[in-house]
Amino acid sequence: MSELLSNLWMGFHVAANPFNILFCLLGALVGTLVGVLPGIGTVATIAMLLPITFGLPPVGALIMLAGIYYGAQYGGSTTSVLVNIPGEATSVITCLDGHQMARQGRAGPALSIAAIGSFFAGCVATVLVAALGAPLTSIALLFGPAEYFSLMVLGLIFAVVLAKGSVLKAVAMVVTGLLLSMVGSDLETGAGRMTFDMAELADGIGFANVAMGVFGFAEIVRNLELPAESRDIVQSKITGLMPTRQDLIDSAGAIARGTLLGSLVGILPGGGAVIASFAAYTFEKKIAKDPSRFGRGAIQGVAAPESANNAAAQTSFIPLLTLGIPPNAVMALMVGAMTIHGIVPGPQVMTKQPELFWGMIASMWLGNLMLVVINLPLVGVWVSLLRVPYRLLYPSIIVFCCIGIYSINNSPTDVVIAAIFGIIGYWLVKHDFEPAPMLLGFVLGPLMEENLRRAMLIARGDATVFFTRPISAVLLSTAIILLVIAGLPKIRRRRDEVFVE
Amino acid sequence: MSDGVSPSPQGTRPGFSINTHNLIGGLIVAVLALFFLGWAFYVPNTLIPRFLAAALVVVGIAAAIGVLPVHGPRDLYGGVALVMLATVALIASADLPGQRGFAFGPGTAPRLFSFVLAAIGAAVALGGVFAEGPPIEKYRIRGPFFVIIAILAFAVMIRPLGLVPATFLAFMVSILGSTEMRWIESLIAAVGMTLFCVLLFVYLLNLPFQLWPRF
Repeated sequence: MSELLSNLWMGFHVAANPFNILFCLLGALVGTLVGVLPGIGTVATIAMLLPITFGLPPVGALIMLAGIYYGAQYGGSTTSVLVNIPGEATSVITCLDGHQMARQGRAGPALSIAAIGSFFAGCVATVLVAALGAPLTSIALLFGPAEYFSLMVLGLIFAVVLAKGSVLKAVAMVVTGLLLSMVGSDLETGAGRMTFDMAELADGIGFANVAMGVFGFAEIVRNLELPAESRDIVQSKITGLMPTRQDLIDSAGAIARGTLLGSLVGILPGGGAVIASFAAYTFEKKIAKDPSRFGRGAIQGVAAPESANNAAAQTSFIPLLTLGIPPNAVMALMVGAMTIHGIVPGPQVMTKQPELFWGMIASMWLGNLMLVVINLPLVGVWVSLLRVPYRLLYPSIIVFCCIGIYSINNSPTDVVIAAIFGIIGYWLVKHDFEPAPMLLGFVLGPLMEENLRRAMLIARGDATVFFTRPISAVLLSTAIILLVIAGLPKIRRRRDEVFVE
Repeated sequence: MSDGVSPSPQGTRPGFSINTHNLIGGLIVAVLALFFLGWAFYVPNTLIPRFLAAALVVVGIAAAIGVLPVHGPRDLYGGVALVMLATVALIASADLPGQRGFAFGPGTAPRLFSFVLAAIGAAVALGGVFAEGPPIEKYRIRGPFFVIIAILAFAVMIRPLGLVPATFLAFMVSILGSTEMRWIESLIAAVGMTLFCVLLFVYLLNLPFQLWPRF
């Protein structure tokens, strides 16, 4: 316990460094901005800003990128409540009750409850990340290559089961990602694999190019297809930000439950903020005395999902920081960011770079505090941003992405590759394929292959090693059971219902 | 959105029922697969990909002339594309040495995952043959076309012309992708964005960009 406190103290020391505070604030601001603006997702933004973080010190860069992720959870709720368009996928569900509250003239309390809930969830999740970090890391140190391989399989299966749409297609996307990650030089022999003798492919397909193409460019093309929506911003002035006593009493339970559920879902590989908010809302509606109030401005319907998405956004750092395995697409990008700075994500981060590990955790708490301050008084500023039309926004995003990709290697080919992945991403969506599992597979590919090869070599070519080593066997059988359960017709139907809702 | 989804009678009954969607889709599959088949004959050790490519040619033609019922076009063509990707990967990694003793060679994992992908792709495609699914949403031309052209234009211009013209011109090309664009407003925004990017990337982040064309 005292060790935990001293570690946290060190973390705050790092986070309170003026530069790091600045990066944290910057991340929180950018996060809120993209959260507020519909049509720009967190994944795309982090991909876009990856090149910019090159010049920064690693701690500052990661603090900023983390700030964008949880900042977007705050910002997304603002748009949901005031405009009835989700600013982020994670606040889709907040539209239901949040906007109804706004129509009843209670936009202020809705926003402040969302912020208070998020802040509470952020605090709890920060402590959770700090507390779970050390024990999970020590478990991870027991892992050999076979266990690592099985763990990654389990993580990918989780991602598949929790993705929306067909399980089979999600598995297909994961394998596609794995295959794409093998383009380039072989890890051991250095032989060029599937490079078609192109020098540009010798180093493999750049991770940022794939992410920006599939999430950035494809998303823009997709948005252009949608008819220009008429945004009916609640014009009335937001009066009285403070919630009443009754509001606080009503939402206290929902915030606590949302935080708990969100934290759990966030830790699961494949989980993440989107699923957390849906789960929390559904749960709240299930246990409510009068479920019919939901959808008509129930404050619990805002409090629970908003707490949950923020909690999940933060706890999803746990598998990344302790096991080195990204549980969702945003964390996959964080892996990219860490690798750029020469940090290999995994258990060794905590022992070798304690400043980074604890500094990042402490900055999460500071960031959450900043977000409450940024969001509530400045709500008017954020809302006015919504008046920027998309027809001017998307060209800006495109040129920004282009410059960003080019600046990574000063290579025009990279820009062309990203454009190709933009087309691929557009095609994938048309055929009901989810791009997120592909990105996860792409990031985990090299790690998985390395561990697979090592495990097989150590076991002298005996493939049963994955089932004879106990930890590995448990992980793999969990993965298989999950996959079977998700494939059962009854569960499948329920799963579809959840996602439709 | 409603105009994007064109109601089509595809896949309602088996037998020779040619409809334009499957004719186009099937022909694209057949032509691409034929190309890969030809390519595979120039590469040694490609028996399996040759077989896969040949199978895809048959599937493509069958879908085009309506012999193969297409109940779920999204799944069928999606699955077929995955098998095709696996085929390409198999051809491309055919020259890599495989397993030697206990050790994986560089070609082992790519081939392993290609086989898995081909199997899953085939399963997805089979689902498209038997299970009813929604038609493929219409592809729009304008948005994707101008966005991609803008990105490619940037890639082509950045080296010879420098950052300022490349950014400005890419911005101006990409605005054509939207039907709501207005010239004057866009010009102002393009100038503003170019200025912002120059300030951010060149002056704040100190990245080595060449700003103007060099003569």
